[in-house]
Amino acid sequence: MATSARGGGEGEAAAGGGGGGGAAAEMEVEAYRRLFPVAYFERHLRESVRLDARPLASPRDTSVALGLVGSADGSALVKFGDTTMVAAIKLEVMTPPAESSDEGSVAVEFYMPPICSPTVRPGRSAEVAPVISKQLSDVIMSSGMINLKDLCLINGKASWIAYLDIYCLNADGSLFDAALVSTVAAFTHLEIPLVSVSDDGRVVTVPGELEGKTKLPLVNKDKRKLMLNNVPFSLTCGLHKEHILVDPTAEEESIIETFVTVVLDTLGRVVSVYKPGGSVLAYTSILKECITLAKRRAQQLRNILNESVSAMEVDKSS
Amino acid sequence: MEYVNPLTGFRIDGRRPNELRQIKGELGVVANADGSALFEMGNTRVIVAVYGPREVQNKSQQNNNQALVRCEYSMANFSTGDRTRRQKGDRRSTEISLVIRQTMEASILTHLMPRSQIDIFVQVLQADGGTRSACINAATLALADAGIPMRDIVTSCTAGYLCSTPLLDLNYVEDSAGGPDVTVGILSKMDKVTLLQMDAKLPMDIFENVMQLAIEGCKAIANYIREVLLENTKQLESRRGG
Repeated sequence: MATSARGGGEGEAAAGGGGGGGAAAEMEVEAYRRLFPVAYFERHLRESVRLDARPLASPRDTSVALGLVGSADGSALVKFGDTTMVAAIKLEVMTPPAESSDEGSVAVEFYMPPICSPTVRPGRSAEVAPVISKQLSDVIMSSGMINLKDLCLINGKASWIAYLDIYCLNADGSLFDAALVSTVAAFTHLEIPLVSVSDDGRVVTVPGELEGKTKLPLVNKDKRKLMLNNVPFSLTCGLHKEHILVDPTAEEESIIETFVTVVLDTLGRVVSVYKPGGSVLAYTSILKECITLAKRRAQQLRNILNESVSAMEVDKSS
Repeated sequence: MEYVNPLTGFRIDGRRPNELRQIKGELGVVANADGSALFEMGNTRVIVAVYGPREVQNKSQQNNNQALVRCEYSMANFSTGDRTRRQKGDRRSTEISLVIRQTMEASILTHLMPRSQIDIFVQVLQADGGTRSACINAATLALADAGIPMRDIVTSCTAGYLCSTPLLDLNYVEDSAGGPDVTVGILSKMDKVTLLQMDAKLPMDIFENVMQLAIEGCKAIANYIREVLLENTKQLESRRGG
């Protein structure tokens, strides 16, 4: 009920106050929104505004919170407007394969549980979930954000495998962007547990309190945090006729058919461009504009992430 | 292992035997859902989203006299101490889904919404004992948030018996101690028990004590839930009234 009241209110405002006030007019706007979504949407575009009254090039309010999941080694909660992602990393020790004996590995999995959206049915997972899983692991590998050698414990015998699980708790558009930010945030928060090797060659984790007291040699005393270089940030833009809409919501995603996702790293280099078909054929000028918008967004996201890291450090020290 | 200190009477996390963990409930956490809630009991954190009443997806299951209630329970891979890759339809999840569904069905006025379906989706973010109870409490809040008519507030709590003491609201360590674990779900105002599960052996009189303790815990949680709902309604009213 609350959602429809909100939508009706904005619709009224955007329609220039036409239709007068009162519940009847609100119902008409709401009905128009449901019956003719494309016309409703384009009416907003003509005024250079979107369904939630944002300007075309403006992303939603973003927030990042670190360390939400106590049982994980690294975790983060990211919100892009209503889109909510929880990412958590758990580290386990494994024997590295012979050809990469000095490297660890990262396993990324993206889940869309049925709570996130009315369109996800139990028993049949959402179509986009494995696509986003693959996109995320490709971006992590190709950007070189993590040096797999940092995840090595004992060459040839033991290394870390980082299981990264991302759960979408609310799907309201820009799922890949939010998932990528939550990945980066979780890796930033990650603290590698102390380990030592027991007599029979097994690697055991040492809980923090026993740090000074254990007689077994601590293998990775100085390597507690991962060094992240070339951190990737992304931006998805929707292309509708000649307009470019930044950070689309789920409602906009159902109307727009063409999307471009650009991933940039810390040095402003393009890590990946993804435009899976769609009716709008993008000229180079449009792609260049998407890349410029992505640069701006990447800077914004970097600031937000740095703020939340320093907020977390303040909490820790206090 | 000493679950209850014989000198001080404190449990391993510093609680008294009849003390609940810190509980916290929040409504409206999933914007897409018709109703949603986050419920925490100590370190156990659970999100429930309710979609409905909406059109029945599988027409063959449609009931012309009442609403269909469906429930799906799933645990995040990082929710427990060891990361476990859980299969969607594993036995424990199916059993808990059934338990939650039947518990909530007892309270929902399904005859008011024939030919429709109410979906209750449960996602466990952190598990530290008492997940079943946290799920039921969160489901009550989420159903209330969705405006689905119910007979009464359903709350649930666990109790156990270790070191000759009945203990309220077991955490994971106490639960895995191998002692009996009684889960009770009640309709608070009507004072009726809708869910009762126990495993392990208990003499009859001790079982009555433990069950009574769990019911007290449920009533305390019901009071808290009532406060949360009242607060939420006041906020809605002030936002509407302006």
